[in-house]
Amino acid sequence: MSQRLFATWVAAVAASLVLGAAHPARADVTTECEFFEISAKAGPKAAIDGELKPVERKLKKAPFLTWNQFKLLSHSKRPLDKKKPEAISLKVGTATATLIEIVDKSKVRLTVTMEDDKGKQVVNNTTTVEAGDYVMFVHELAGNEGHLLSLTCK
Amino acid sequence: MTERRISRPLPRTTSDVELMEHADGELAEAEVAIRLDREPDARAKVDAVRELGELVRGHLELSADAVHDARFAAMWRRIDSEIEVPASGLWARVTGWFDRHRGHVVTGVVSAGAVAALALILRPGGPDGAGVGRGPISVQPVAMRAAPEIDALDTPGGSSTVINLDDEDGHTTVIWVSPADIVEGI
Repeated sequence: MSQRLFATWVAAVAASLVLGAAHPARADVTTECEFFEISAKAGPKAAIDGELKPVERKLKKAPFLTWNQFKLLSHSKRPLDKKKPEAISLKVGTATATLIEIVDKSKVRLTVTMEDDKGKQVVNNTTTVEAGDYVMFVHELAGNEGHLLSLTCK
Repeated sequence: MTERRISRPLPRTTSDVELMEHADGELAEAEVAIRLDREPDARAKVDAVRELGELVRGHLELSADAVHDARFAAMWRRIDSEIEVPASGLWARVTGWFDRHRGHVVTGVVSAGAVAALALILRPGGPDGAGVGRGPISVQPVAMRAAPEIDALDTPGGSSTVINLDDEDGHTTVIWVSPADIVEGI
């Protein structure tokens, strides 16, 4: 084997190894979900945080007309690996999201659990939802207040 | 050199000077050629003069080349003497190898990168049939999206209501949980 061919071969193998090592990291992540934690209440003056723009239109319609003040408590984007529960950090209580599977290349089957600030489970739900669509969990609280968790995946 | 072609009558016997002029192309060809045909000795002299001329020219060209080669050799010797003596050892040999084959290494890396990039782009989806190229899953246009499906729902200590909303942004599934100890409903 000539030196030139050997040099090219070595370089090609090295590059393939580098790229091959990077490949599994990408394959592990199967979807990315965005979470909005929102507090809701009724007040004399309507107010919706500017950071809630993606869901603002939904919050102005039924069944959310009970409230007119919505405040963003936390916002996060998380990559979800298949069947690996991901803790979602919340201001109030805790939540986990688990990607069960991807369906028909465009839908995600997710399991979401929420606990309140006392550690009591509020909801345990598995839903199949199209990428880009929303699932919103609403936990009614005393005093006509609400604790909302909105999520969408892509 | 200015070319002089002189057309003049030659004496009966062609002199050596005239033969040399003819050999150098300085006398008209036709007249001399007739005489050369009649004088074999003159023809031999002309041939000899031409051959000698060729030899001199070749020698001069070789001498000129030799001068250039000598100058280049001197330049290379000077360059070599000014280049640092490479350090010995394994690392020096490795870096030296890469220096010598930098072009091939770069070519190999670029080629391998291109092939790997193509493989990443064109590879089929994972076990879930995940989308190709742009992201893990593909986002369908709103009009083509299916309504969400609740596969399982558990709300310990409370009741739940599922509401599906459709708007220009797509579907929204609202899962409303009302704890049992809260009197007010939605």
